[in-house]
Order: sequence, then structure tokens, then C-alpha cells
Amino acid sequence: MSTEVSRADLLRPLHTTTKQYWLLFVAALVVTLVFVYAYSLQLRHGLIVTGLADWGSGGGVTWGIYVGGFVWWVGIAHGGIILSAAVRLFKMERYTPVARLAELLTIGALSMAGLFIVIHLGRPDRVVTSIIAAYPETVHTSPLVWDVTVITLYFVLTGTYLLLTLRHDIHQLRGQLPDRLDPVYTLLTVGYTESEDRVSQRLVWWLALGIIILAPLLLHGGVIPWLFALLPSMPGWYGAVQGPQFLTIALTSAIGSVLVLALAFRKAYGWEHIITDDVFRGLGLWLGLFAMLFLWLQLQQVITGVFAAPIDVDQATAAKLNDPIYWVAIFGVILALAYLAAQALQPHVFSLYGTVAAGILVVTATLIEKTFFVVEGLMYPSFGLYASVPGEYTPSWVELSAVAGSLAMVVIFFLIVAKVIPVVELHAIEGEVES
Amino acid sequence: MSDRKPGVPVSPYDEDELRELLEETDYDTELGMELARDAQRLVAGELSEEVFHDRYHEAIVDEFGVDERPLETIAAAFEAEHTDPTGFFERLESGEHSRRDVMKVGGAAAGALAIGAWGTAEQARQDGQSMASGDNPNQDGTRWGMVIDLDRCDGCLGCVKACREENHWERGANWMYVMRYEDDSRSSGEDYLVRPCMHCSNAPCEKVCPVTARHTRDDGLVLTDYDICIGCRYCQVACPYGVNYFQWGEPAVPQEELDPNHTHDGRDRWVDSRPPKGTMGKCTMCPTRQDGLLGEDKVGTVACMDMCDEMGMRAIHFGDLNDPDSRPNRYLRQRREQETGRRPGHDTTADDFMQTSTKEQDISTFRLLEHMGTEPNVIYVGNQPGPNAEQVDGPVSYEAQGSVDRRKDVLDDGADADQRPWVYAEGGDDE
Repeated sequence: MSTEVSRADLLRPLHTTTKQYWLLFVAALVVTLVFVYAYSLQLRHGLIVTGLADWGSGGGVTWGIYVGGFVWWVGIAHGGIILSAAVRLFKMERYTPVARLAELLTIGALSMAGLFIVIHLGRPDRVVTSIIAAYPETVHTSPLVWDVTVITLYFVLTGTYLLLTLRHDIHQLRGQLPDRLDPVYTLLTVGYTESEDRVSQRLVWWLALGIIILAPLLLHGGVIPWLFALLPSMPGWYGAVQGPQFLTIALTSAIGSVLVLALAFRKAYGWEHIITDDVFRGLGLWLGLFAMLFLWLQLQQVITGVFAAPIDVDQATAAKLNDPIYWVAIFGVILALAYLAAQALQPHVFSLYGTVAAGILVVTATLIEKTFFVVEGLMYPSFGLYASVPGEYTPSWVELSAVAGSLAMVVIFFLIVAKVIPVVELHAIEGEVES
Repeated sequence: MSDRKPGVPVSPYDEDELRELLEETDYDTELGMELARDAQRLVAGELSEEVFHDRYHEAIVDEFGVDERPLETIAAAFEAEHTDPTGFFERLESGEHSRRDVMKVGGAAAGALAIGAWGTAEQARQDGQSMASGDNPNQDGTRWGMVIDLDRCDGCLGCVKACREENHWERGANWMYVMRYEDDSRSSGEDYLVRPCMHCSNAPCEKVCPVTARHTRDDGLVLTDYDICIGCRYCQVACPYGVNYFQWGEPAVPQEELDPNHTHDGRDRWVDSRPPKGTMGKCTMCPTRQDGLLGEDKVGTVACMDMCDEMGMRAIHFGDLNDPDSRPNRYLRQRREQETGRRPGHDTTADDFMQTSTKEQDISTFRLLEHMGTEPNVIYVGNQPGPNAEQVDGPVSYEAQGSVDRRKDVLDDGADADQRPWVYAEGGDDE
């Protein structure tokens, strides 16, 4: 990247605010407020306002779209930071223009994952006190506590990572940033000296290494799938394949989301020369690769589930294969993969909107697949003697409003952040600091 | 227990109680009492089986129409095996008499055997006081649990109702659940599964709990501390039996109406009665009773068992599984003796019955989903549901007992916030 891109281009979001911006902001705010109202109902009446119920004789499922949404957002978060860390670690400079978007997405998405955990609970008021009080004991045994632990660690790592790269940029651009936000910038760059750049470069590299090791192996390939995969009570969940399967979902949904974000910013601020077609083309290829892995691991589960499986696994697999929702998710990914593979073989097939559409398709399919995974797992327990098994579940409007609300809040997050900090790194247009 | 005078057998049913039980039936009380006394002599070896049979066969045929003292007397078991190729249990299950009639007929003999078994245990204790219990590490301390004789259940749901009246859980949150089922793999009889919480020694629900709300007391009871629970429902997901029922909305019976002696146990932790909104509930095996907070006479009892006894079924036997003299262990020994004619060792406990290598295996006992490694503390006697078993409607509906079977129906009514039909309809449910 070179000099034809000016710093003014980079800072355009901080200085111009269009009517569309306000429209989007208000729309997102309305959706958020609907969710806030819905959640206030839930706080008042309890989780009875959801479509959830007890599994077994009760005829329902006890985890639903809240848990599905949690897993989905966590996946996006993890995939986002993996992408950014890979850029730094493996010198994939082509993607530097979207690295910070991916990092910010991680922060926003992790917050939403946390939100879904809280709204999933019957007694959210106790979440901090109860968990901390029991922590020394539960950290040995409860996958949910492992999740809380690793996600907290992750949040800190990502925040540090983002802050370190941000300090340099803010210092460099300080003169061109809006004056009214001076206190924010002062806070972000407290104690900054130019000599720290080289140290923080190394630090960021090590953080990236930590993230690359931690995220795939421990997070979305570890504690998140272990929430489910360690429980023999639910044969649809149990088994070693869930680690890699969840990881493919994290990576595909994150790349899909970054594609959407990249297009939105490119369109809104005329950044064709910053976030080039090349970026989309490359991300599309990665998306295709991970979509293929996703399907491959689905195939593993289906084949082991139908060939000579124990009765409970057999029933769970048969039910999955007979459910149209499962096929909506699978065909969504297949369709995206077909288009992306065609692009890889015939570069002229590439289209910007086509690639982003493939991204949206995959992001939607993974939300459906993940919620279906949670629900279907609970519908077909190992102990299926109850007449009310399989249970039924249709998310109530309260639950659906949480999904919409979380999306809206992430939109608001980006709308605000874009007004405060440059969402594309200075390095993307001016190259690395000489080392 | 050891301060009892040697040679004076004490039955879990004293004589008056037994008489009362017999008088409730349509049959000859005196005959029952005599039967009971002689059965005791039989077990003590003072009376031979032949003499016992000769003495009572005709009287029993006169009184009951057929000498089919079910499960209860050795004589009947022998009679069946020796005279009828279809076998004793098949005839019992074929159902000329309902299971309940049969149980009532058998009441006398049941009492007899209980006394007999007691006598035996007593005698053995005198013989071998040196066999200290406590040799086996599993036998230290109390471990509450149940033996449930599925052959004695007729699906009346009395236990469900009693549990609900005791604990005030919401309609459909069936802490105690009884299902009738059919199983292709065998000729379909009257098969029931009675499903309380298993109070597992290796409880998966406890393992996954992120806040240690779900915990095991020293006496083996697996409970939820309602003051700590955050309502994540991970316990419900991890439990393979489906015994957990969440408090999705505002409880129908407000806190003020609950007896404080029946909410906090002996450790002063809030673990009993229905859970408050947003926390998890399940069968507790009545910790406040075990801690003596509801009166000394209720220690060692549970609401479901009391009702089952009251109904004359005596299918549920709650007690300390580590104590060879506890009701469930005594019952298992007695049951084996009835069925096989062989007398188990006086200190044989439920654990011995469950060990595949021992001869005690010769009556059908099982633990539910034992292969999952949960070490459940409910031991069943009777048929184990096979992998393709399916629940069918039982003889009594949950609605008739003030609950509902499929709770989701009730919850769905409450899912659109402003009304609160998930709270009991006025006057509808509590009697």
C-alpha cells in the first residue's frame, strides 16, 4: 500500500456523518430498545416468557437460541481475532486493511456472547457472586467455568492487542482527530512515547502467537465445544469431532462477518482503494476452504451416526437427517462453497457482492446450524423412554428479539467506534514501522 | 438397634399395624395373622415348608379362590413352579386379578415375611456379632437411597401426588414421575418405571454446576442450594435421567406459605420444597425429614414412600443403603428369598445385589443407565426397560392427581407474559 491513499481517506469516518448513518443508527437503536423491553419482561416474569421448557417428561428443551446465539457470537469473536493474529504472525499483509475491523468485531462479538450467557440465566443477579465464590472448586470440573475463564482471558488478550496497535496510530494521527474527543485520546495514549513502538511490535507479535495457539486449540476448538461434547447424556453432542467442527464454524462465521463489515465500510466511505477487491477475493478463498472443512466434519458425524451406531446415536442422527432445518444450514454452506470454489478455479467468476452474499449465507447457516445443534441435541437424549421425548421448541419473540438486539448492538458499536478511532490501521496505508 | 432383646423379633410392621393393614382388605384378617406368625416360624426353621403348605393351602384357596400369594411366600412360589408350567410370574402378570388386588391379598404374607426376615437378621446378628460393618469402605456413614419394586407398582400416581403436596412444585414439574411402558422385546405386561432423582454417588449434574449450588451432602443426598443457583440449567442438561425441573416463572405457592422447617435443612441451607423463580428443582428425598426438622417420626421416611405404603402397595423402600438393617436392604433380601427360596446372608446389602459376580444376581435388580457411570442410589427390582421401550398412558392421569404430564403445555400458556395462567387456576388443583 502506498502514498496514493491519504490519511484523510482513512479518517473520513471521523469527520463526515451522513443521513444514512443516522438512519442506520436509529433503526439499530429501535431494535435494541425492543430487545430491552423484551428482556425486562423476562426479568419480571422469569424464563417462562421463552419457548423453553424441561426436557424429559416436560416435553421441551431447556437450552435454546440463547445458547445457540452465545456459541455463534463466540465463534465470530474467536474467528475474528484469529484472522487478525494470522495477518500479523504470518505476514499476510494483504489483509492488514481488515485486521482492525476483525479485532473490533472480536470485542463486539465477545460482549454479545457474554450478554447471551447472562440473559440465558434464571438468576442473572447472582452471576458474579456465585461464580467467584465457588471458583476454586468449580474450575476443576465445570466446562461452563472453563468457558468463563478462557473467555475472560481472551477478552483481556484482545483488548491489550487492540490497544497496543491503536496507541501508535492515535499518536501519529492526533492532530487530525476530532478535538471534542481529546480526553478519550489522552486516556488511550497515556504514557506513550515513540520508543515504545518497537517494543509493542514485538509484544503484539507474541500476543498474536498466544492467540493463534489459544483460540483454535483451547477456545473454539476446546472449551466451547466441550460444553456439549463431554456429556454422554445427549448423544447428538457427545464425541471428539465437536472440537474441530466448532472451529470451522468460528472461522467461517468470522470471515463471513468480516466480509460484510468490509463491504459496508468500503461502500460508506469510498474505500475501494483501501479495502480492495483483492482482499475480498482472498477472504473468499479462505471462507471456501473452511466451509469445505465444515462440511467434511458434518459428513464424519453423519457417517458414524448412521453406519452401525448405538441406538441413541442412531436415533439422534436419523432425526437430524430428517429435519429440514438441518438441510437449510447444510445447503446454505454447500451453495456458498460451490460459488467460492468456482471463483478459485475461474477468477473471472469473482464478484464483490457475490462473495459478500456467500459470506452472509455462511454466517446465517452457522447460526441456524448451531441453534439446531443445541436444540436437537436436547430433543434426542440418550434416555428416550419418555413419551414427551423428543421435546419441542419454538423460540418466542422475546428470544428472537435478543438475536436481533445483539446484531443491532454490534451495529451501534461499530457506528460509534468508527467515529472515535480509525478502523483501518495506519500500517495498512503507510507500511510497517521500520525495524 | 443392638439394644433390642435377643430373640424378640421386631417387624417394621408391628402386630397392630399389620392387623390394621389386613382389616382394610376384604379378606380374612385372622387367617392373615396366623399366616404371618407361621411364616415367621418357617423362616426361623421351626416349621417345615411342607407343613406350612399343608396347613394353609386349602384355607388360602377357600379365601382367595386361588393359592397365588404373589411374590410373598416361599410356599406360593414353590407351588407355582411345581404345578404350573407357565410359571408364577406369568400368571401373576396375566391379570385375572389386578396388581392392586394381588398386593392386598398378599399383605398378610408380606408382613409375615418381613417379620421372618427380621427374625433371621436378628438371629444372625446374635450368631455373628463379630462381623463388624465398616469393613467395606462403601459402608461408612449414611447413604440414603431407595429400592423400588416395580412389580409392586400399579401406576396409581399416589407418590406423585404426595410429593407435590409435600413440596408444592408447579404443575408438571413431576419430581416423582411414574411411567407405564411397553417393550417389544418381551410379552407386554404391566411394566412401570418409577423415576425419582437417583441421587447418584457420581452425579454428573454436580460435576458441571458452575457455582456448586448442586452438591452432595454427607449422607449422599444430591441437592440444589436455592440461594446459590444461577439458573444456567447445566445440571438439567448433564443429567441423563431427566429428573430436573426448572422454576420458569413465579412459583404458585409463595414463599410465605412454605413451612420454614421444610425449606432449610439441618445445615441451614435452603435446599428443600419447591425452588424459587429462576432456579432448579428436583426430587430431594426429603432432607428436612431426614434431619428431623419435621419430627423424629419422619426421619428415614419420604413422602412418596409414606403414600405408597398407605395405598398398600409398598413398592418404594427408602433408607440407608449402607445399613444392612435398613428397610431397602431388608426388603431386597426378603424379595430374593421369596423368589428363589435361598436366603441371602444377613448383612447382604443393595450393593451386593448389584455386583455381577455374586449369586445375589438371581433376582432381577438393576440401576437405571448404570453404564453411564453415575452410580445411582436407586435400585430397582423388576423388569428393566429395553432400548426400544416406549411410554404408554398409565391407568391414572397426572391431571387426576393435580399435576400434568407434559409440562410444556402449561408453560406455553404462560409464555405470553401478561396473564399468568402458569400459576394454578383458582380452585382447580389443590383438591
